[in-house]
Amino acid sequence: MSVHRSNDGTIVLDGRCPVEDAEPLLQFLQAAPGAPVDWRHCRDLHAAVLQVIMAARPTLVGPCADPWVRQWVELE
Amino acid sequence: MNALHEQFVAEARELVDQATDDLIAIEREGFAAERVDRVFRAFHTLKGSAGVVELPEMVLSLHAAEDVLAAIHAGRLDATTPAIDRALACLDQVSVWVDEFEARGSLSSGAGWDARAMAARLRDLLSTGPGGQTARDGRDRATVANAAPPEWVSRLIESDRGQIFRRLPADADHLLAVSYEPRSECFFDGDDPLALMRQVPDLLAFHIEPRAAWSPPSDMDPFACNLRLQCLSAAGRADLAAIFRLVPDEVQIIDVPLHALRPRPGVRTDEAERAGLVRAVIDEQRRVLRMSARNDDVAGRIGAAARAAANALRHGARADLAGRVEHAAAEAGRRGDAGSLLPVLDATLAALAPGAPAADGSDSAVRDPAGAIMEDARGAATRTLRVDESKIDALLDLAAELMIVRNGFAHLTRRVAAEVGGHGLARAMRHEQETIERLIGDMHGAILQLRMVPVARVFQPFRRLLRDMAMRLDKKVELVTRGETTESDKTIVDRLFEPLLHLVRNAVDHGIESPEQRRAAGKPDEAVIRMEASRVGDRFVVEISDDGRGIDPAIVRRKAGERGVLAADALAALSDEQVVDLVFAAGFSTAAEISDISGRGVGMGAVRTTVEQIGGRVSLSSRIGAGTTVRLDLPTSIAMSRIMVVEAGGHLFGVPMEAVTETLRLAPDRISRIATNVGFVLRDRVVPICALAELMGLPVAPASDERIRLLVVIDTGGKSVALEVDGIRDRLEAVLKPMPGVLSGARGYVGTTLLGDGGILLVLDVKAILP
Repeated sequence: MSVHRSNDGTIVLDGRCPVEDAEPLLQFLQAAPGAPVDWRHCRDLHAAVLQVIMAARPTLVGPCADPWVRQWVELE
Repeated sequence: MNALHEQFVAEARELVDQATDDLIAIEREGFAAERVDRVFRAFHTLKGSAGVVELPEMVLSLHAAEDVLAAIHAGRLDATTPAIDRALACLDQVSVWVDEFEARGSLSSGAGWDARAMAARLRDLLSTGPGGQTARDGRDRATVANAAPPEWVSRLIESDRGQIFRRLPADADHLLAVSYEPRSECFFDGDDPLALMRQVPDLLAFHIEPRAAWSPPSDMDPFACNLRLQCLSAAGRADLAAIFRLVPDEVQIIDVPLHALRPRPGVRTDEAERAGLVRAVIDEQRRVLRMSARNDDVAGRIGAAARAAANALRHGARADLAGRVEHAAAEAGRRGDAGSLLPVLDATLAALAPGAPAADGSDSAVRDPAGAIMEDARGAATRTLRVDESKIDALLDLAAELMIVRNGFAHLTRRVAAEVGGHGLARAMRHEQETIERLIGDMHGAILQLRMVPVARVFQPFRRLLRDMAMRLDKKVELVTRGETTESDKTIVDRLFEPLLHLVRNAVDHGIESPEQRRAAGKPDEAVIRMEASRVGDRFVVEISDDGRGIDPAIVRRKAGERGVLAADALAALSDEQVVDLVFAAGFSTAAEISDISGRGVGMGAVRTTVEQIGGRVSLSSRIGAGTTVRLDLPTSIAMSRIMVVEAGGHLFGVPMEAVTETLRLAPDRISRIATNVGFVLRDRVVPICALAELMGLPVAPASDERIRLLVVIDTGGKSVALEVDGIRDRLEAVLKPMPGVLSGARGYVGTTLLGDGGILLVLDVKAILP
């Protein structure tokens, strides 16, 4: 699994983040609504994972390591 | 601007001129492989050079023009007027850019749009031309262009317009917008909508949003897709269809016309109407400027016309042209010459003509697609060394100073002979002095030669101007030029353009008949206008002739009478030849209607004024039914004299500055009287005072010894004399003309020159008037 919580409570997305990461990411965010999400090491993001981020709007620690996402995805 | 840039500017202008001539020749004489080839090479070289100086906008337009020319060359496209028109428009645009680049080292922010619009117009020829290629994916371009894009597409464009434009590939001829709404269970089926979007080539913009409002995270189903993904791409429809082939009912792919990328889409719909309005406003300003009464406020009129034109242009999103008009107006205002604003307004109208390149205030730029490089196709252009005119003038000044030193040296040589004796030494010095004298003379002549330029540079633009004028008037005219290599001083050649423009306009508009009238008169449909330059002795003669209807002295006589140009008895006394000359009188026009091309006939008066200002003469001969010839007899070099304008006895006189050593105000106590003569002591020498008014036989102000006198001290060959004047008005540089007609024998004057207000200033021969 490429989504985990670090010691300081940050939710970290690491490497390839496939569709399976969507549910644990959502669970982490449900458990700690204010937790930041660090996607600086996320090299490939699935739409389902992005959808969770869009819905929950956590504080993002970036930039995202996925170049396509970095160039094209703008989250308000 | 570095040397490379200067080289580029010079070369680009030469290539534009050359290609313009060749294009017009192709239009007139039909397809000639060699000529098309030469035009192609000119465009190709221009493109290469533009790439080197990093002007991607220029590269883009020229590249499209090259495609058109290649199609013509290969016989896929006919060299018809629409094709030639657009190629010429492309060259016009390039000229504007070259001017901008020279002035600022870069192109205006609207250049990207201009370039793209130009390229699209050129490529249109290829998709619609006979036997031409169809558009890349076979779509009907017309319907695409007319459909307004849906709101979501506009939003997509609006979100990131500048970036979209920058990302757009240079050869893009269409856009596609994609809206993809994956079904909600797509994640279960292993779909990644984002992965599909990642495959879209030539992506220009991307937007992702929820289809329905998000539920709070606590209620969210992470496996139900609630996304809408949209993008804009320049890729082909087939490519996109392939990417989304598995989800055809979830995706919508629509064509977006390129012009949808232009800013302010809402305002754009009435673009044509607005352009028409702008043209009408400018046309009106041209009319106002031409209706010049002589004594009104010229500067005010220029200012008002320029303001109106510039405001209209800004309204039409052509700030670039507005700037040019204002610049020209400032110049015209300084010279007090409304006429000089007219060509600029003409050029502005030409730039606004339908089909001319459009511009607007977008801040976008195009990226250079083709890494163009300088190539070998540049042999055709003439190599010249460009030197700033002021540097040559500085040389000329130095030569003039050397001449003064030479005079001093000659004097010294004489003293050596007289005081030292020793014939050998004196002879050797005289020998050296003669050599120096000859060399200085040669050098002066060589420097004057540097200012000599061929008249070709004024003739050159007329081929194009005449073509456009004739087209607008539905007349057929051929321009024949001869003697283009004849040279004259740069100042003369440069100032010749305006008079020639007036003359050619008059010839096309009034002189040349319609093809029907010509046929009825037994003449060929196509009229001929000749521009010929030649050297006659030390004069430089330019003749403009047409084979039109000629000027009817009876009509001129009647009009001159009606307009009160001359009193009836004076008019009756004139021969037919003299009557025809009256067309040069200001405010005279034989045209029944004021026409768009040549206005009210103030032009001919302006021609005479301009030509006389540069020391020339104008004469006109005309035969009814056979045509009119106007002859400009000009000097080959221009010798400017510096003149001080003084007032005495209520009149103005010019005094050559080279005779004036100083001017001073003298208190009464410094004046001494010797018998009836008055004088004063200046640096230990007695200088006599002569009242200029008295010398000229004018009423003299009652003498009062208590006044302060204003004196101009003149040196007349070693002897100083002070001229008393009432005032010193001005100092000016002017070309002196010999005294006209019966006055040519009058003593006391070296010549005349025109004052800024059109009055004539008599310039004194001070040596001759002194007692």
